[in-house]
Amino acid sequence: MGLGAELHVASRFLIGTRRWTSVVTVTLISLLGLGVGVFALVVTLALLDGFQSGIRSQIEVQAAHAEVRPVEGRRLADPEELALVLQGSLTDVEIVQVVRGIALVSSDTDAVPASVVGRSDTDRVAVDRVLARRLSLGAGATLDLISARQRLTPMGPLPVRVRAQVSRIVDPRPGTEGGSVILPLDRAQRLLWGEEVIGAIELRDPVGPWTVGRRAREVLGADRGAVEVAGLQELHRPLLTALALEKVMIFVAVGLMLVVAALNLLCNVAMVAAQKRKDLAVMAGLGFDPSSLRRLFVLLGLIIGAAGSLLGAGLGSAVAVVLDRTGLLELPQGVFVVAAVPFRVDPATVGMVVAVALGLAAVAAWLPARMVARREPSEGLRYE
Amino acid sequence: MSDRGTMVRAESLVKGYGEGATRVDVIAGLDLEVPTGEMLAVVGPSGVGKSTLLHLLGLLDRPDGGSVTIDGVAVDELDSSARAGMRNRTMGFVFQHHNLLDELDALDNVALPLRIAGEGPRRARERGLELLASVGLSDRTSHYPDQLSGGEQQRVSVARALAMRPKLLLADEPTGNLDRDNAERLFALVGQLHLKASLTSIIVTHNEEMARRCDRIFRLAPRAELSE
Repeated sequence: MGLGAELHVASRFLIGTRRWTSVVTVTLISLLGLGVGVFALVVTLALLDGFQSGIRSQIEVQAAHAEVRPVEGRRLADPEELALVLQGSLTDVEIVQVVRGIALVSSDTDAVPASVVGRSDTDRVAVDRVLARRLSLGAGATLDLISARQRLTPMGPLPVRVRAQVSRIVDPRPGTEGGSVILPLDRAQRLLWGEEVIGAIELRDPVGPWTVGRRAREVLGADRGAVEVAGLQELHRPLLTALALEKVMIFVAVGLMLVVAALNLLCNVAMVAAQKRKDLAVMAGLGFDPSSLRRLFVLLGLIIGAAGSLLGAGLGSAVAVVLDRTGLLELPQGVFVVAAVPFRVDPATVGMVVAVALGLAAVAAWLPARMVARREPSEGLRYE
Repeated sequence: MSDRGTMVRAESLVKGYGEGATRVDVIAGLDLEVPTGEMLAVVGPSGVGKSTLLHLLGLLDRPDGGSVTIDGVAVDELDSSARAGMRNRTMGFVFQHHNLLDELDALDNVALPLRIAGEGPRRARERGLELLASVGLSDRTSHYPDQLSGGEQQRVSVARALAMRPKLLLADEPTGNLDRDNAERLFALVGQLHLKASLTSIIVTHNEEMARRCDRIFRLAPRAELSE
């Protein structure tokens, strides 16, 4: 037997009545409960996706997409050879040699330790916004970088000092929240090492930022010797893991609303089962077997669940899209990179929310359905 | 009445309610045989177990003891699904209260057993229309139960009982809620259909006059003092 008879009766129970009965009332309450739960979840996850996609875009724009670095130590053994091999195969990828270290950065007002990055793709000095604010620096300001490395002078060992004029202030790169200075490669090498040392090779692929790491690994092959390749996932693992965890936790927390709505559905379906006791007995008399009665009630739950989920998902998606496009929820300038609360409706996420809501609705309907299926038909007829 | 064999056989049937000291055996050691084609009236005072007997014979309940054979099948051994299938294919029920589904119109109510049997909507509706015509309700197909009179509701109920062309018709006080005229008309209709569809019918009734018009009367007495 297909679902024809069960679906027919379930749909008539819900929409076939021509009077405002308690079945209609409890159906609407259940439907609204699930709808509100799905709405809340869709809007919250769209908000989270909006912020997270902003962070991911920032990473893609500002950070290296992959990095070839030594397995041990802070200097690559043969950077020129590596760069040639990579450049030969990854012709569409930007390759930058870098050296990194820590230095004391001193301005007229203060001195703080900061990251120093020497890059082969720049011949100007840049300071990120965090450090610029801390040291009250602007474009054109002069700063001193003092390394932990020492050189021997007639006055004894002195730390190496490089004086630089700031050309521009840039956005902080992800992972350098303490402030950083970007120098031309040769000046950074002089400051940090006193010789031509390359600490890593950065790769940037605007077309495939999340896959360039894998491509570089393939180019270098299994026999990479003393170097390793870290893609975007590895370079920002703590941040990306935190973002993923945040999404899961928010899903679970807000998803509890769906659980409450499902419990409400369970009560309501049980109420319908009690009210329809006589009808169920008659249907059993006409040939509905216990599994058909069980399917009938699961279908009731699923129909209510589907209607509530679609209503909530549709409204939630529409609200999120409207809020994103109109920028109605403004954010304080200077605190956030974006001017308004961003929303991003991900169809896969919405689909998952709807699937969870439907699953909960099916489980909620299953329990009263089991109860109904266990009764002998005569019980309903005897108590009419 | 024909003599083509036995449609219903109940042997040493026992059914009670309650547990321990509060247990009451409504039916205790009842034997009954209904030949194929017979129209049997079951009569007796209220509370004597007429409806319980009908539920046991209609596989709507399970006996505590004894056995029931329907159309040669020992039904006690059947599982719930097989019993449901047998109710659907072999039996038709008419209850005292019409017991139509309020959310379905007359045609959908009549077509429901066919839909349960897996019949497509179109064929089920065609058969439903045919049955409603046979009980004189062609003009009430899209009426809901609350838009029909008591007599009309019972006629729809009779049409529904015959939807699957059953061999056995079980009716529990089918005229109990009808005025005299409607009761007469309905009983005549049942009798007519009984002959036309070659049914075996078991009709529980309080109405002695109608019981006498059946082929045989089976009397249930308190404490299972049975007589024919």
